[in-house]
Amino acid sequence: MTTTPKRTSRPKTLTHFSRFMMAMFIAVFLLIGTFLAIPTVQASPQAQATSTPAPQVTPTFDLQRLEKPVIASDNAEQLKKGSIVYWGICMACHGDRGQGLTEEWKDAFGKEDRNCWNVGCHGYDHPPQGFLIPKDKIIPAVAGMGRLRRFQNAQELHDFILANMPWWSPGKLTNEEAWQVSSYILSLQKVMPAKFELAETNASAIRTQYAVPQPGNDRPAILILTGILALAGIGMIAQDLRKNKIRFPERPNFFHHLHPPTIPAIQARLRYTLGAGGLAVLLCLLLLVTGILEMFYYIPTPEHAAVSIEVITSLVPFGALIRNLHFWSAQALMIVMSIHLLRVVLTGAYARHRRLNYLIGLGMFILVALLDFTGYVLRWDEGIRWALIVGTNLLKTIPWLGNSLYQLAVGGPEPSLSSLERFYTWHIFVLTLGMIVLGGWHIFRVRRDGGISVPPPDQRKDNMRISRFDLVQREVLMMVIAGVVLLFVSIIFPAPIERPITQASIDIYNARAPWFFLWVQQLLKLGDPFLWGIAVPTLLLVLLASIPYLLPQTNESEHGQWFPRGNRLAQVLVIILGLTLIILTLLAIMPTTQL
Amino acid sequence: MKNLSRRDFLKLSTNSLLALTGALGIGGLIRYLSYQFDPTPPSEFDIGPATDYPLNSHTILAHIPAIVIHDKKGLRAISLACTHLGCTIEQRNFGFECPCHSSRYDMNGKILKGPANRDLQILRVAESSDGNLHLFTS
Repeated sequence: MTTTPKRTSRPKTLTHFSRFMMAMFIAVFLLIGTFLAIPTVQASPQAQATSTPAPQVTPTFDLQRLEKPVIASDNAEQLKKGSIVYWGICMACHGDRGQGLTEEWKDAFGKEDRNCWNVGCHGYDHPPQGFLIPKDKIIPAVAGMGRLRRFQNAQELHDFILANMPWWSPGKLTNEEAWQVSSYILSLQKVMPAKFELAETNASAIRTQYAVPQPGNDRPAILILTGILALAGIGMIAQDLRKNKIRFPERPNFFHHLHPPTIPAIQARLRYTLGAGGLAVLLCLLLLVTGILEMFYYIPTPEHAAVSIEVITSLVPFGALIRNLHFWSAQALMIVMSIHLLRVVLTGAYARHRRLNYLIGLGMFILVALLDFTGYVLRWDEGIRWALIVGTNLLKTIPWLGNSLYQLAVGGPEPSLSSLERFYTWHIFVLTLGMIVLGGWHIFRVRRDGGISVPPPDQRKDNMRISRFDLVQREVLMMVIAGVVLLFVSIIFPAPIERPITQASIDIYNARAPWFFLWVQQLLKLGDPFLWGIAVPTLLLVLLASIPYLLPQTNESEHGQWFPRGNRLAQVLVIILGLTLIILTLLAIMPTTQL
Repeated sequence: MKNLSRRDFLKLSTNSLLALTGALGIGGLIRYLSYQFDPTPPSEFDIGPATDYPLNSHTILAHIPAIVIHDKKGLRAISLACTHLGCTIEQRNFGFECPCHSSRYDMNGKILKGPANRDLQILRVAESSDGNLHLFTS
């Protein structure tokens, strides 16, 4: 009945070994005793009801069940470590299968240890003096049908274990051990996906009451896709090198028709345009597509928002890729738009009839900043908490309009269910629609204003023109290269997500503003929130907007080159502005000295 | 194909690679959209002790939906989901009628009138070890 446990090559601790010897001794003793006793010893009905091999003698030690567990099938390190932590700390009370302190489980320990409220418990990892369980204490089962109902997901289970377990010394477990033991308990509960490592970024997606489908490993597929796209890019570059020999089709397709039949070659110089406008278009399209895809799984309610994001990133096939692409495209758009704005000012391209388009572009910049902020808030996790509170409270400081604006953005007296719904609507509908309208208008104005700014035909050094076939080919190449870079970034760097906001949590996880607003956060440290948080940034915007209207401009012959003489003042202004923002951002990142 | 020049080959292979990327992307898209996170609904319901269903009683259990009939022939359960397109049917003096497309069934779930073309599903009821009746929908 008692089999000799397999000896592992690892040396066991003295406690363990002596415990084993003692148990073995008692087991043998009892075995002999059984043969000598009256041969009508019946197994208890309790033991018969369970599916485990019924012990023929009760009470006795069931060594197999007390043996250190070995998990071979799953290669998750966390689960294996969790099984050891559970075995050492939790198993004595909660049972080897998570059944709780049942009569049947007490029998596995033998006579002396049956009454945990009379005899101090001395487990493998217990304090030397042991501990007594009060008789009225109910020790819950931690696995089985309907168990763990008080916890929605692994995150809540982990938080409870970390704060309350073990019962005789709450807080004894480290955060990592709490994850390990949560993983093991959920595997006893049969809801833990195989090879899954619980962490704060994915635990809310693992439910306690039902098993979610096993997530697959889609990384190879993504790498293959990226590789094929990169090969296509190389093929296109090879074609481009031989471009004067390429035969173009006679009939332009739909995408060709979005472009003029020919444009001056000097309008298509990458070192002049930096390709920033085209890249911004690509990023906007990517954001639109990935954003729509995220909407299929995102649930805009405070209880579900962060959880649904964790489901997308840790369970849904290719979900992490789509979310990372959305995130990194948004970050890249912010940078590409800044470069585009700088390029336009540093080449004086906004002059005369183009100044309306400059304003439209600036309007899109504001929309993108708002889209980035609302999108960031949609995470509704601990990471956005303070940015949300600060951002919305800033609105309140505006004289006269403040409270109405706050109501418009937040939809109530404080951030809540209605605020998330509003941020969602602003993000996916209102602001996006605004971007589509302004974006379409912006591109139309570029075309109407004669394309990229260059000198008039009689003042050009080179009057070569390129066809739309060539232009589209270059655009596609640019998109392929940008796509490959974005895919690589998305594979390597995951978009941030933290635990869902709960009323109970007071720890400040991250009180830092999103990076594109760090400069505002730094300004806010200077004093009055309205002055530094609203008035100064607005003033900077007005200053930018007034450049084509108040400052000297370039003349036509100066167009199509960097740093023309005509608008030096504007150039100096934006460079100072840009450097100031960078310095403020760096100051905000630098660690503050502790007092 | 004999006249396939180097540049045509380059163009053909580049375009094929782009097309392959698109095809893979669409494949990934389908996989992305077909993930099921919600739990599958239960197929077994605990409907309480047998004494709740005395002789000659008809009990409608709206959450399943099903009707439990206890008569001379014994205890049985009929699904109240219309076999046409799944609306919950309503009790009438002749039996049951679907409010959506007016399919009719008699008291025993036999089809009387279309558009449905199958009888109502008879559900298995069994007493479990805890003494309660359990109803199985599949």
